[in-house]
Amino acid sequence: MATAVSARSLVKRFGRREVLHGVDFEVEAGTVFGVIGPNGAGKTTTMRCLLDIIRPTAGEVRVLGTDPRTGGPELRRRIGYLPGELFLEGRVTGRKLLAHYQAISGPVPPGRINELADRLGLDLDRHTRKLSKGNKQKLGLVQAFMHQPELLVLDEPTGGLDPLVQQEFHAMVREAKHRGQTIFLSSHVLSEVQQTADTVAILRDGRIITVESVEGLREGAVRRVRLTTHGIAAHDAVALLSGVPGVGQVQVLEADGAVTLSAVLEGAIQPLIRMLGSLELTDLVLDEPDLEEAVLKMYAVPREDAR
Amino acid sequence: MNATLPLFRRAFFDTWRSTLGWAAGLAAAAFLYLPLYPSIGGSAQMQDMIDALPAEMTKALNYDQIATGPGYAQATLFGLLGFLLMTIASVAWGAAAVGGDEESGQLELTLAHGVRRVQVVLERAMALLLRVVLLSGLVFVLVLVLNEPSQLGIEPANLFGATVLFAGLALLSGTAALCVGAVTGRKTYGLAAGAAVAVLGYVFNAVGRQSPDVEWLLNLSPYHWAYGNSPVVNGADWAAAGWLWGLSAALVALAAVALEQRDVGA
Repeated sequence: MATAVSARSLVKRFGRREVLHGVDFEVEAGTVFGVIGPNGAGKTTTMRCLLDIIRPTAGEVRVLGTDPRTGGPELRRRIGYLPGELFLEGRVTGRKLLAHYQAISGPVPPGRINELADRLGLDLDRHTRKLSKGNKQKLGLVQAFMHQPELLVLDEPTGGLDPLVQQEFHAMVREAKHRGQTIFLSSHVLSEVQQTADTVAILRDGRIITVESVEGLREGAVRRVRLTTHGIAAHDAVALLSGVPGVGQVQVLEADGAVTLSAVLEGAIQPLIRMLGSLELTDLVLDEPDLEEAVLKMYAVPREDAR
Repeated sequence: MNATLPLFRRAFFDTWRSTLGWAAGLAAAAFLYLPLYPSIGGSAQMQDMIDALPAEMTKALNYDQIATGPGYAQATLFGLLGFLLMTIASVAWGAAAVGGDEESGQLELTLAHGVRRVQVVLERAMALLLRVVLLSGLVFVLVLVLNEPSQLGIEPANLFGATVLFAGLALLSGTAALCVGAVTGRKTYGLAAGAAVAVLGYVFNAVGRQSPDVEWLLNLSPYHWAYGNSPVVNGADWAAAGWLWGLSAALVALAAVALEQRDVGA
């Protein structure tokens, strides 16, 4: 498969402060690539390098087969960009602002702007500076998606959006992917990208510490378990649960009459299910794998070459 | 691109309210000052009063020629209030064009689209130029209209030359603001640079005229280049006009080169 975006040993220094210390990654065309990392990890800097808004100090960047330094307007017309912090000022309606961006983007199919605005529930006739943060973000999404670019670079795309609109955004990302577009998006939390991304890169302190498929992250992640049972003494229940492979941090939440326990599970769920069959359960909660926690652990891993 | 000069059109049309506001201010200045000439500038009493003022003060305010119609228009409208209003408008637009846009975070999104940085600077400088020319044209027309009724007796050819210098002077401050804004990415620095060009130019002129010892200051004053020979009275010094407009063009070119070289929004 073709590569849509790649970076090799990407270094960016602002004065004496080095923000990116040699970032390497590759994004396959037609996939969704999520970059997550804490604030200040270098996500925005990396994205700005892809659009030639800032210039790398060293290393090589290729976007849609071209170096962004030399790609010029022709390359940027094939990209849709949503900046991390979107400022839209001025006494101008959303419609007029989008018409302006349309004039400096790739060709926009007729009716596309209205269709996107309807999907996101955005009123195009209001002045942009009177829009709430969420509505400004919708306007930013419309201008990024409207010309159906080959590559979408979206910096914290769901910031300020309510959950329903976030769902719509995820649908838009999936549709774009089915159309063959490549999506490069960032977030400081995993939950935003795990629903749509095929691959997740974790960036910390200007370095990629891991590139992993979402499936892979899921396998390494932990789930929370909570169960309520009766007809068994609390310490027996604890012993049973602790005996299951992968279970840890068993706690007794309630012990008078019904027994309520909580624990975390790492790895396969089959052994746990088998054990649960021997109990008289009145309640069971098995959470989705907490990828967030898995990622936070990775954030906390000390840098191997800490100076 | 489905329309020509999209950045120019946005910069020009999105500020029509501000352009209209400055036009109203300049019109008010013309209508306030010029009709008063027969009762103030031209009267013998006024001349006596001006003669009674310290010579340094009349020189600093350019009031030494206020007794003639063209001298009155030169000193009051072109040299003082009109100069002030035009300079503020031009500097504000110049500082906002690139530096202000970058500081507010909007330049980043524009540059992520299918535009070149040089194009951004040139189209926005063109929008600045057009607005300054429009306002100057308005002043030209208003003075021409008030010429007869206010008994100013200004030669239209001299008025035209003075207007070209008036526009050039404002443009120099405005492009200085645009250039420093583009180099630093800060609106405030642009405003400071534009204001410095205008204020220092005015002060160097006022001080330089006081004595031969400090006459060299006049050479550093764009205000003096433009108005040293009172163009409304005597006709334009076209070489000075060339300097003002040429330097403005050079500052725009410098802005384009500087923006092309550096990181934006970093």
